[in-house]
Amino acid sequence: MSLDPSRYAELFRTESREQLSAINRALLLLEQGGDAAEPISVLFRAMHTVKGMSATMRYHAVAEFAHELESVLDRVRRGDQLLAPDLMDALFASADALETAIDEASEQAGQTPAMVAALQRLRDVAGGSSTSEFPGAPTKETGALVEVAVADPLDGPGVIVRVRQAADAMLPGVRAFMAVQRVRALGEVAAVNPSLDALQASAVPISFAMRVVTTASVDEIEHAVRSAGDVAFVEVDVSGRTRRESRSTIEVVAEGEEVTRASARPTRHVRIDLARLDALMNLIGELVITRGRLLQLTASNPDPALDESMQMAARLVSDLQTEIMTMRMVPVWQVFDRFPRLVRDSARALNKDVTFVVEGKEIELDRSLLDEIGEPIVHLLRNAIGHGIESPAERAAAGKPRAGRLVLSAARDRAAVLIRVSDDGRGIDRPRVLARARALGLVDEGTREVDDDALFRLIARPGLSTAEQVSDLSGRGVGIDAVQVKTRALGGSVELKTVAGEGTTITIRLPITLAIVRALLARSGTERYALPLTHVRETLEYDRDVVQHVKGKPVLVLRDEVLPLLDLRDVVRQRAAPFAGGPNREIVVIERGDRKSGLVVDELIGQQDIVVKQFDAARDGLALFSGATILADGAPALIMDVGSLFEGT
Amino acid sequence: MVAPTVLICDDAIFMRTMVSDILQQAGFEVVGEAETGAQAVERYKQLRPDLVTMDIVMPDMGGIDAVREITKFDPDAKVLMCSAMGQQALVVEAIQAGAKDFVVKPFQPSRVLEAVQRVLG
Repeated sequence: MSLDPSRYAELFRTESREQLSAINRALLLLEQGGDAAEPISVLFRAMHTVKGMSATMRYHAVAEFAHELESVLDRVRRGDQLLAPDLMDALFASADALETAIDEASEQAGQTPAMVAALQRLRDVAGGSSTSEFPGAPTKETGALVEVAVADPLDGPGVIVRVRQAADAMLPGVRAFMAVQRVRALGEVAAVNPSLDALQASAVPISFAMRVVTTASVDEIEHAVRSAGDVAFVEVDVSGRTRRESRSTIEVVAEGEEVTRASARPTRHVRIDLARLDALMNLIGELVITRGRLLQLTASNPDPALDESMQMAARLVSDLQTEIMTMRMVPVWQVFDRFPRLVRDSARALNKDVTFVVEGKEIELDRSLLDEIGEPIVHLLRNAIGHGIESPAERAAAGKPRAGRLVLSAARDRAAVLIRVSDDGRGIDRPRVLARARALGLVDEGTREVDDDALFRLIARPGLSTAEQVSDLSGRGVGIDAVQVKTRALGGSVELKTVAGEGTTITIRLPITLAIVRALLARSGTERYALPLTHVRETLEYDRDVVQHVKGKPVLVLRDEVLPLLDLRDVVRQRAAPFAGGPNREIVVIERGDRKSGLVVDELIGQQDIVVKQFDAARDGLALFSGATILADGAPALIMDVGSLFEGT
Repeated sequence: MVAPTVLICDDAIFMRTMVSDILQQAGFEVVGEAETGAQAVERYKQLRPDLVTMDIVMPDMGGIDAVREITKFDPDAKVLMCSAMGQQALVVEAIQAGAKDFVVKPFQPSRVLEAVQRVLG
């Protein structure tokens, strides 16, 4: 029976990534100063674990590399090696090299160039690796057995026990120690040759002998020695009489034996293939639609018995939906975890001093949403460091603390999650953006002012980067427009707030979960539209009192606010009568960020869970809609991208 | 025939899975797992397994201390230490603390089972 590593490859990678996360966190903690004992301990353990796992997977290059790192860390841990800044840098570089090596690991893979470079750096800083017993890519040990001549120390009363260790013994020193220990249980071990210390430290299988004073039988002594394991040969010499024994193979419990299969292990966690979660999600989506249909049918054909079961079923479907969505929820720190390292590296590369704060690590988000939003966040962080936060000198000159403050936060807001990247840097240069926009003909020549929303729309156009240098970090064509596009594709929206000299905050609003959202259904003309509740504030009946006209344009007077008013008919360009303001119409107050607006619809049909089917189509053609859904009666409805409704105003 | 029970202690789920697979195929019932030395001691007391596999390096009480505690609680405890290469001194310490045998990573199933046989007698 041999172990097939390929079965465990995925598990290896997942576990290794967790260890690497711990390694990076510990390195960052060490760099920041403070108590070093705990992080060093964590580093050592994590490296040790990676070494063990990669050796098991036969990824020899990785295992050896981890072994070298472990040795260095061991010396640091014992106080034999000082943890100076250049060693810290070498360790960071090593952690990176380890990460790529693990991703590319295979049995045949040798040392990557990054590993070689990192090792060289480590050696320059911390000297060679300690003498360790790592045998490198293991071939079967040829086991040069060292015959130890039985010498004088063994003269004396008692029996001589001669032992030769098996050629393939692992940790032979320990086996020797165990053999002596077991024999000691039978009597007195008067002498050992070579000495016990030498035996224990032996790195190769050896022969050794002991003089034992005991009343135990030869069989008992031999049995005791063999029970220590890896014994090729044992001989008990009683007054010159010898008996040879050859190694017996131990029978292993083989297949075919009647065994009871282990019952389910009592574990706290279960690892699930992500594809299964996606499949469950699809199924529950279909079930939600079917439930809607059934509810409709039972409403039009009342039957008390059926009603009761239907209610029960509907409730069960809801519960099931909740459970499945919960399974997909993942706390944001799983993605946020790698950002501190990223911020540190970026800041160093640009000679900026940045204090990075992460808030709301425990907030949960659907896992595919979280996966997708990672890259946009990275871009925003790099932008903030590259363009937002000034150099320490500039900041000092402006009366600010030398270290810039960068905050990444996640927070719940009803049915949405808000992810904010906020810096206290120089803010976006409005005049410069405007100048460029004027030059490109995007705004009127006469425009001298622009509010945050308009500003955002401008900078979100591809190609409008005003960065002086196209640095390696940002500005290489991947602009804030990419963040916008990605967020919209996920059913969310992006908002900007910036104050010159004080800083910039970008807020990404995302629905908590992607596939099933609660929406308000509205009718305009003959079509029905779905408005995700994340963007719906309230609804009210169309009433002469709340609708007024300002400069010929209709507005909504909502308590003490005056909001612009849109007509859904106009928005979707239905060939219907112009704005009539009939008494039976209704108004939906929609919002995006701080902005609110009224949307007049013909009729509100109700709230419903809808299964979102996203479009594959090019975004340009359907700017108003983020997707489509099938309603309870089987007819399709378009899902409005509410954020886009704010763009014209 | 009642399957012998085993408690698997290692802070890496990867290693626990491997050991678990090897032992289950050999007819063991895995009745518990532990990620730290402290958990290992606690679960031993609760479960009283026939066998324990114990990693040397674990957070929150290392494997050696855990063996010591378990052996103090139950002198007949059968603990098999799992060690990586290059840790002779630590393994010796573990044996002195009460471990009955050891296996070295990377695991070879045959060796693991040999060691288990020796430990269980």
